[in-house]
Amino acid sequence: MTSMEEDKDGFAAEYVLGTLDAEERAQADALILVDAAFAALVKRWERRLGVLTTMVAAVEPPLPLWERIKSGLADAGQAGDLHLPEVAAPAAMPRTDAPSAEVIHMRQRMQRWRGFSAITWLAAACLVGIVLVREYKPDVLPSELRPHEPPVRVVTQVVEKPVEVVKEVVREVPAPRAAQLVAVFQKDEQSPAFLLTVDVDKRMVTVRPVAAERMADKTYQLWIAAQPGQPPRSLGLIGNDEFTQRAALSDYDPAVISNATYGISLEPPGGSPTGQPTGPVIHARLVQATP
Amino acid sequence: MLTSAELVWLMAAVAKGDQAAFERLYAATRAKLYGVALRILRRSDLADEVIQEAYLKIWHNAGSFDPKLATPITWMVAIARNRALDLVRKKGEASIEDEPAAMEAAADTPNPLARREMTEELKRLLACLGQLEEDRRRMVLLAYYSGLSREQLAAQFDAPANTIKTWLRRSLMQIRECLGS
Repeated sequence: MTSMEEDKDGFAAEYVLGTLDAEERAQADALILVDAAFAALVKRWERRLGVLTTMVAAVEPPLPLWERIKSGLADAGQAGDLHLPEVAAPAAMPRTDAPSAEVIHMRQRMQRWRGFSAITWLAAACLVGIVLVREYKPDVLPSELRPHEPPVRVVTQVVEKPVEVVKEVVREVPAPRAAQLVAVFQKDEQSPAFLLTVDVDKRMVTVRPVAAERMADKTYQLWIAAQPGQPPRSLGLIGNDEFTQRAALSDYDPAVISNATYGISLEPPGGSPTGQPTGPVIHARLVQATP
Repeated sequence: MLTSAELVWLMAAVAKGDQAAFERLYAATRAKLYGVALRILRRSDLADEVIQEAYLKIWHNAGSFDPKLATPITWMVAIARNRALDLVRKKGEASIEDEPAAMEAAADTPNPLARREMTEELKRLLACLGQLEEDRRRMVLLAYYSGLSREQLAAQFDAPANTIKTWLRRSLMQIRECLGS
């Protein structure tokens, strides 16, 4: 295994072991959705360590629990039903049809994404992908799906050149308060992966390289494109370890932060000399999903 | 407890929306899942909540269960553990200090089985765990069974969280090499 694979497998192993913190767990959940190889690593660790549960003493749950589960089934319908509420999808993301239990097309959003074709830096990317985990109105969820913390939406879209939305998948993942938005940058399973967490309240971004080659003569740079048609602005360089930049987003209001497009480009040491991405912009998928 | 093959059959029926099969699946697995969640959460009200959510998820996702990748019980336990871990992480890191007694109770090997009750897989894993240093082994087991975070392990083992992370990863990779699969 390369150190990159080793890092990814270690992350998967710790996810299954349970030692990741809330933010890292949200990142791993997002990665599971977009990276089949990572999801497979998680499955293998579940298999390796799962046998330990044979030694956990069985404890009978209280009797009324079954009644509560059963009434939850009645409300939610049968297996295979969509996990999202039939009612009141948020206005910005109207459901137009549901081709499968988990895939939803959202034309309005797609229109918006098509607008990005105006952005030149996106044209340089073969793929640009983002998963956004956003807070979702809990009150529109059926009660049995309503978590005690507001659930979160993962938005993943695949944007290809020429910029075109391939699909959106809608899922919900339990998300900690700390991680209001999570983006996963990954072009394919062999390429570097980055996880971006945005704390909207604190205007703070954290980028975590999960599987990214460290190159002595290159550096990764994070960008934000706040509006379609506007040139991206740098959010800073991504260090070799975990990268945190406080207040990197202090110029942006929460609505912009939530809807912006983020990109990571490969640049010379010290960052882009022009103030705009010069190297290839990596990765890409924007999905929306519910496990 | 039903055999794994019986559980696979039940899962297939549940995937088709068979509520009677789901009730049987619940009856066969509830105590194990509840035991796992309670051990991590240490509070029955939270365990109730997690188990309710876990079974709803099992009901909805039964169709995505793949018997080639996992046994039904492994798959279901993973769902319940993930819910429990999400909840315990969201609640913050304070819980363990609140309950020193619970900490004491969280022994590494919760329910030693007679050797003949162990599956080959479990014996192999235990043999691999046995190759780890005592502290490292305890760390892995405390994390798995009791849901301790790196910070909680750091307090318990009197080492910085980063060191704990390095130890955990090394231990896990050692286990992977030892299992050879």
